[in-house]
Amino acid sequence: MLQKVSELPDLVRKPSHEGDRRRRARLAITLLAVALCAAFLFSLASGASDASALSVLGELLGIGAQGAMSARDRIIVMDIRLPRAVLGVLIGAALAVSGAVMQGLFRNPLADPGLVGVSAGAGLGAISIIVLGGTALAPLTALFGIYSLPLAAFLGGLLTTLVLYRVATRRGQTSVATMLLAGIALGAMAGALSGLLVYMADDRQLRDLTFWGLGSLAGATWLKIAAAGPIIAVALLAAPFLARGLNALSLGESTANHLGIPVQRVKSVAIVTVAGAVGASVAVSGGIGFVGIVVPHLLRLAIGPDNRYLLPAAALLGASLLLLADSVSRTIVAPAELPIGIVTAAVGAPFFLWILLRKRGVIDL
Amino acid sequence: MIELDKVSVDIGSKRIVSDVSFRAHAGEVTAIVGPNGSGKTTLLKAISGEWAYRGSISLAGREMRTMKPWETAGLRAVLPQATTLSFPFTVLEIVRLGLTSGRSGVTGPALELLAEEALERVDLAGFAGRFYQELSGGEQQRVQLARVLCQVWQPVLDGEPRFLLLDEPVSSLDIKHQLVIMGIARDFARAGGGVVAILHDLNLTAMFADRIVMMHRGRAEAVGKPAEVLVDERISRVFECGLRVGVTPAAGAPFVLPQSATV
Repeated sequence: MLQKVSELPDLVRKPSHEGDRRRRARLAITLLAVALCAAFLFSLASGASDASALSVLGELLGIGAQGAMSARDRIIVMDIRLPRAVLGVLIGAALAVSGAVMQGLFRNPLADPGLVGVSAGAGLGAISIIVLGGTALAPLTALFGIYSLPLAAFLGGLLTTLVLYRVATRRGQTSVATMLLAGIALGAMAGALSGLLVYMADDRQLRDLTFWGLGSLAGATWLKIAAAGPIIAVALLAAPFLARGLNALSLGESTANHLGIPVQRVKSVAIVTVAGAVGASVAVSGGIGFVGIVVPHLLRLAIGPDNRYLLPAAALLGASLLLLADSVSRTIVAPAELPIGIVTAAVGAPFFLWILLRKRGVIDL
Repeated sequence: MIELDKVSVDIGSKRIVSDVSFRAHAGEVTAIVGPNGSGKTTLLKAISGEWAYRGSISLAGREMRTMKPWETAGLRAVLPQATTLSFPFTVLEIVRLGLTSGRSGVTGPALELLAEEALERVDLAGFAGRFYQELSGGEQQRVQLARVLCQVWQPVLDGEPRFLLLDEPVSSLDIKHQLVIMGIARDFARAGGGVVAILHDLNLTAMFADRIVMMHRGRAEAVGKPAEVLVDERISRVFECGLRVGVTPAAGAPFVLPQSATV
């Protein structure tokens, strides 16, 4: 009786595919990859200057009429828009994936680096370098150069995540109420220390800090990409290896362990991944909120919560959405531009309220 | 074989299980019975690797605490008392999580069908596409059992018998499904695997268990065949109410009627 399956000839029975969302997920990932390419080109083509999408594409591929693009447009596209778009892809993917990983780790769809203080902790690390980098922390900046900002943000994010996990999780069970409240407390503490540093800052640092704090991709340079890119890339490449473990974790820590998952290791890697991705993002672009909560939530509705598909899909959708948000922020008040954090918050915050409304009474605090 | 030798478990400063020794053999259903708070679940959690313990628990001849999660996952599967779920998985996706360790013993095209086959076994054919959170408690319990069955589908793999550790597998089931699930456990044992199950129903225990471990205040009060363990004096003392054990004429299996109890 128990061996029945293996004895069945292949022709007798085919899987019904009922409840199996793997095909749909693969299709979604393909479509999202196409969408990301489109968003990338759109981002290169949109802005205060009217360098068009077609001439950009022709220029990039080395086809089309030679000299269709003026020297000025070429500089705009290659030195301003291209690094900005690349940074947008990296940060959008990093924020969405870190949101998804964090939700898997805390077993809760409301966990988001921005909501539970991880971004604030990373911000504190970054502000320390901006304000104290020339004085108290000078040896550090001398040692790590362009990497000191993302590294400090990574450490700030890591410390916050570790404390948060310690406080909110007992015996493998995470209390959502404790997690959110501890996140508020940690965020407030990081905020207070950041405020103290801002108070000590001089005028030039203040201008840097203000723009940075609102969240922006403006000022993207190849140098910033070189600083934050490797950390984000490592985090993004580590994420797929967490997928099976996070799937098992959704049944609880002990069950994940019974299924053969080395739970402690998965948790450690997840925490470091989140801290790395969030830290590096915050370091170069400030606090860009709600990408980490909106993107995974939308995708779970569409393709289900299987992290093997959710994580790559989140990276693609997060990158696309951030590129679009950046295009909006650059064009809506052209020739000036809005910090992108304002755009993502304006769209993301109502969406978050909508999730809460739908889940009202279901969320177990 | 699972062999326990003087196993004790402390939670905080309180000793919950003390000096329990017994063997759960392949080919047998071993039932752990006892009143509430007698340490049954804690004992099973020690066997499944959730609680630290003193003494020794060996699985396939190896000390449990020296084994890696993926090694134990190939030798035993665990059904917890209750499982909460944080994300909207379908029933099929939950059952497939049982294949995480990759040691089901089924390969090739049959592996793709295994989850549905397991659902059929627990009488949930056609439930694959439903959302887990929308099912009733008893249905959820059977979905989890299907997941557990997938993990060790072949009761014997590479010559090594494998075990099902079940914590109250029939607690929220109707009588038909109690019999279905206990039948699955018995079939698994008859096919060469082993089963260790915590049971509350003494009659189901008498019907399906080959061996009983009766727990009382953290200790193994008795270990043996149902007819040896289930005797008036002992169960009256352990369960603290006057009970009489009867014997069915046909099968010669003991039974306990609550109608005859005196509290």
